[in-house]
Amino acid sequence: MDVSLCWRPPAWTVGEKRMRTAPTLRRLLSALTLLHVMVQVNSQKRGALRDLKCTTNNLQVWDCAWKAPLGAGHGTVNEVCIDDRLHSCYPLEKGNVKIPALPPGDHEVIVNYLHGFNGSSAKFILNEQNVSLIPNTPEILTLSADFSTSTLYLTWDDRSCAFAHHSKVTWEIKVLRTPRMELINLVTFNTTLNGRDTVHYWRWTSDLPLQCATHYVGIRCYLDHLHFAGPKEWSAWSPLMNISWAPESEAKAFPQDKVVLVGSNITFCCVSQTKVLSGQIGKTFYPLIHLYGQNVAIHIQNISVSENSGTNVVFMIEDNVCGTVVFAGYPPDVPQKLNCETHDLKDIICNWNPGRPTGLVGPRNTNYTLLDSFSGKSVTFKRFETLTNESYQLLFQMPPHQEIYNLTLTARNPLGQSESAILVNITERVCPHTPTSLKVKDINSTVVTLSWHLPGNFARINLVCQIEIWKPNSKQELQNITIKGVENSSYLVVVDKLNPYTTYTFRIRCSTEPFWKWSKWSSGKRHLTTEAIPSKGPDTWREWSSDGRNLIIYWKPLPISEANGKILSYNVSCSSHEEVQSMSEILDPQHRAELQLVKDDYIISVVAKNSAGPSPPSRIASMEIPNDDLTVEQAVGLGKKIRLSWPPDPNVTCDYVIKWCNSSRSEPCLMDWKKVPSNSTEAVIESDQFRPGVRYNFFLYGCRSQGYQLLRSIIGYIEELAPIVAPNFTVEDTSADSILVRWEDIPVEELRGFLRGYLFYFQKGERDTPKMRSLETGHSDIKVKNITDTSQKTLRIADLQGKTSYRLVLRAYTDGGLGPEKSMFVVTKENSVGLIIAILIPVAVAVIVGVVTSTLCYRKREWIKETFYPDIPNPENCKALQFQKSVCEGSNALKTLEMNPCTPNDVEVLETRSIIPKIEDTEIISPVAERPEEISEAEPENHVVVSYCPPIIEEEIANPAADDAGGTSQVVYIDVQSMCQPQARPEDEQDIDPIVGAGYKPQMRLPINSAVEETAAENDADSTAGYRPQANVNTWNLVSPDSPRSTDSNSEIVSFGSPCSVNSRQFLIPPKDDDSPKSNGGAWSFTNFFQNKPND
Amino acid sequence: MACHRGWSLYLLSLLLPLLSPAAPISPAEPISQAYSLALYMQKNTSTLLQTYLQYQGSPFSDPGFSAPELQLSSLPPAAVSFRIWHALDDVERLSRGQEAFLALSQHLQLVGDDQSDLNPGSPILLAQLATARLRAQGLLGNMAAIMTALGLPIPPEEDTLGLVPFGASAFERKCRGYIVTREYGHWTDRAVRDLALLKAKYPA
Repeated sequence: MDVSLCWRPPAWTVGEKRMRTAPTLRRLLSALTLLHVMVQVNSQKRGALRDLKCTTNNLQVWDCAWKAPLGAGHGTVNEVCIDDRLHSCYPLEKGNVKIPALPPGDHEVIVNYLHGFNGSSAKFILNEQNVSLIPNTPEILTLSADFSTSTLYLTWDDRSCAFAHHSKVTWEIKVLRTPRMELINLVTFNTTLNGRDTVHYWRWTSDLPLQCATHYVGIRCYLDHLHFAGPKEWSAWSPLMNISWAPESEAKAFPQDKVVLVGSNITFCCVSQTKVLSGQIGKTFYPLIHLYGQNVAIHIQNISVSENSGTNVVFMIEDNVCGTVVFAGYPPDVPQKLNCETHDLKDIICNWNPGRPTGLVGPRNTNYTLLDSFSGKSVTFKRFETLTNESYQLLFQMPPHQEIYNLTLTARNPLGQSESAILVNITERVCPHTPTSLKVKDINSTVVTLSWHLPGNFARINLVCQIEIWKPNSKQELQNITIKGVENSSYLVVVDKLNPYTTYTFRIRCSTEPFWKWSKWSSGKRHLTTEAIPSKGPDTWREWSSDGRNLIIYWKPLPISEANGKILSYNVSCSSHEEVQSMSEILDPQHRAELQLVKDDYIISVVAKNSAGPSPPSRIASMEIPNDDLTVEQAVGLGKKIRLSWPPDPNVTCDYVIKWCNSSRSEPCLMDWKKVPSNSTEAVIESDQFRPGVRYNFFLYGCRSQGYQLLRSIIGYIEELAPIVAPNFTVEDTSADSILVRWEDIPVEELRGFLRGYLFYFQKGERDTPKMRSLETGHSDIKVKNITDTSQKTLRIADLQGKTSYRLVLRAYTDGGLGPEKSMFVVTKENSVGLIIAILIPVAVAVIVGVVTSTLCYRKREWIKETFYPDIPNPENCKALQFQKSVCEGSNALKTLEMNPCTPNDVEVLETRSIIPKIEDTEIISPVAERPEEISEAEPENHVVVSYCPPIIEEEIANPAADDAGGTSQVVYIDVQSMCQPQARPEDEQDIDPIVGAGYKPQMRLPINSAVEETAAENDADSTAGYRPQANVNTWNLVSPDSPRSTDSNSEIVSFGSPCSVNSRQFLIPPKDDDSPKSNGGAWSFTNFFQNKPND
Repeated sequence: MACHRGWSLYLLSLLLPLLSPAAPISPAEPISQAYSLALYMQKNTSTLLQTYLQYQGSPFSDPGFSAPELQLSSLPPAAVSFRIWHALDDVERLSRGQEAFLALSQHLQLVGDDQSDLNPGSPILLAQLATARLRAQGLLGNMAAIMTALGLPIPPEEDTLGLVPFGASAFERKCRGYIVTREYGHWTDRAVRDLALLKAKYPA
């Protein structure tokens, strides 16, 4: 397969060609590169040596060269002699001479010339210090490259310096890069010579992928020989070797699929034959760095973490793209929370948290190795995808019989590794599996065995298991058991102290010793324990039937805790001293039996039976132990309970029984009974059947050798209510001042509580009186008698009035409240003595008054005559007629009769008040009182409207004008007339004289205009239906000329009225003269009236 | 001899339905089935391509990414000039489609493997690639049924991938996957047209 444009299989060849040079050439080069040392030459002035240099590359031979003196040609020197002991001479070769190394110190060297200078010679002094040590040029053995990692590998040997044993050598390596052969790396590398021909290695990783440019490497060395006194110099550079990538026709980007650390700097290049237009990493474009040819690079600094599929680096070429992917991530974090435990002592499970995500997935994801250093075993964890928020887990199979483990977890990825370790005793780190296959097996009704399966080999340790035992309606119970671990995973325990015939739910969990962790709870297992015989006989009671011949046996079903199974039947038997009579079985739902007994004295026994067998018998004597000393007590309960208490009775040996029933039921009455132990002195009876207001009888029995004696009889209520009926009562006897009442008891069912007394009310009242005052208002005329003696059935009410109707009410009450009332009307008899006295006294008084009056009149007859009936003189005898008038006028004594203003009725002013009107008797509502404003509006001037009603009338006249003159005046009159006139009376009068009788006419008529009077009379006639004030209103208005007349107001006034005559005692004193109305400016009021009166 | 030949023909006619019991007599039904499948595949091809690109990172995941110049030599391109396409006969039409979907199903397997290295934590992408491969194989089966119905020889399955370039770089794998998912869409479009033509030709 081919990717036709971009993707060619790599067809490059690594440029590993070693540069091999011929030995001759090498020698020549080394000669050329010798460094020269200037030697101080003591020579003759003529023929002095120039540029003398002596070097050595092996410390054995010194190679000296110089330039011939001026004028001397080549080939003129024939030998060089050294002035030493041997005086050895060396032929001169081509301008240089090789001299064996000389001992330390100065040596004279003589150069003999054969020609040119006529056998002349030149001398110089040669010392080791003047000879330079220049090692031979080192040789690169190999240069290779790993293009995937951009690493260069260089090898060379130290053959060139091998002579200098134990000397230190410094190597210098340079790396050059095309196109400009710029030096991109220069490193030094120290070694020590050991005399053998050693190959040295050097590795270097390029920041630029090696494919991007040709890289050259050269090497040289520096020998630091300790015993050589002369100067030491670097060798010449070795020939350069290069590494290059054979470019393909298609463009390609490098490095490929590299994994780098986040934050590092990295260079990418594109090797292309055509022009590269742009370079981008992800979405970001970077400036192109031109390498050589069309190759370009981009450099990114601080690379950020890659997504899963890596970061794409793409170069756009004219007609193509080339790209690569880089994976930037992190080295693995130290594994955190490393925890190792086992479920079954077969495998160790280690969990850990990987810590910081590496950002690398797939083949680059972290792999983990768990190594136990004691056994040397290891397991590896490798996943391609990264687990998020999940702990990693490795399973390590336990070697047999090893308990202590030193576990090291190593995390590795292409960027690095980290590790964490844990030392565990695995027997202390056991978290057992969830127990399975829990089974329950019966041993007997109270003991079962539990078996379960717990996978694992726990033969070496103990297990601690917890059994949860739960039965309905009770708290769960936990039992801890320790069992020896077994190899085959099956466990069995016995659980005892269970209740028979009870459904239990068992479940189990296990841990190990020492405790590390509980396993999960196994699933629950329900189990019903087998039945056992009932632990007790049924609670039994007996009652004689109403005819006293049959004995009815009652018993209660056994509670489940005592039944120990399903009760199938009951056996009832009776026995006397002589015989045992057995009854047939009675099946379960029935809980009573009726026995016909020949004798009275039997012992009845009741046995309950379930499938496991019969219960112990419950025995009860048929006869009751008599008790003469029995009292009936009362008790009232609270809520639905009633508390009964009794003094301790030492005679009671078995128990107490409290039996109760509704008191209204017929015998044998039994609602329920309750047994309490013989040491109790009280019991609380509670039943849902109890109802408030119902009387119950409670009977306390004491047991004495299976026989019961009635100790107490208690009547009680759970809650007392008010009676629902009133007592029936009758009047036994009635006199003029007293009544005797007798009543009956209220039946118990209707009483609904303990009777606490009666309330007796009485008051005057007629049967037909529509409104009888409520009894509760406590009105003063209602008298109440509280009869607390409930045995009292009669009551005499005294001090009553004769011939008066009384209303009598009787009610009963309990602590629950008052019952309804029943009332009756009774009229007392007439009091004859009082009647006689009432007749006699007025008669006597009248006789006495008559006698006294007659006597007085007789005695004072002269005076009376003088006063009332003086002798009338005969006018004929009167001299006055004969006298002048003035004489007659001047003498008052001559007057026969003096006319005085006469007041036919007395008016007495008792008091005046200035308050808001108050009407005491609410039953009599005067329309006048309701209308003062209307009237005052109609007649704003002073105007007195006086209504009358017995016995007391209070009137208020709204009188704005009078406020100025001293406030509103209110006048209270007491009329001379004691009784109210019947309403019909004005009408009667009207019939007689419609005009005159239309209203009251004051006895003294005022002088009025006759025309006005006629008008008034017409008005009166128009409104005869209404009541007329005795004073002629029109008259008053006339005398108050300033007041605006209003017909409406007249009619208002005329038509207002009360059932009683008002005007009959009103304005009995008309204005005496004309001055009076004028003086108060038209305001006519009682105030004025009083003020004016003294003036008169 | 003649009698013998007659017998053998008779036997052949008896055996043919037995040998290819799934082959109906009319090609309309397999054509219709193949057409329905191709239509169904067409609805999901762009989703596959978009999902694929979304997981490859920028610039692949950039909106509007397209690199039509990228091709795979092992995968026949779907693009064809209309004149040539229209001149194709049924056999050529069907065999080219078969060849393409055979190559596609193999390439989709390769891309799935590549992506489980590059995107191991992306079940959505891997599931879509696997589904696409199964559908390509399904269409391949339908096309074989058509050819059987038309009485055409079914070309043998070839290993179109040849030597798998296991050393392909991640970038090459991403590009390869892109080309395969893109061509899968193009070939599905072409198959819809091919089958529509056949459907018109062989009405039910």
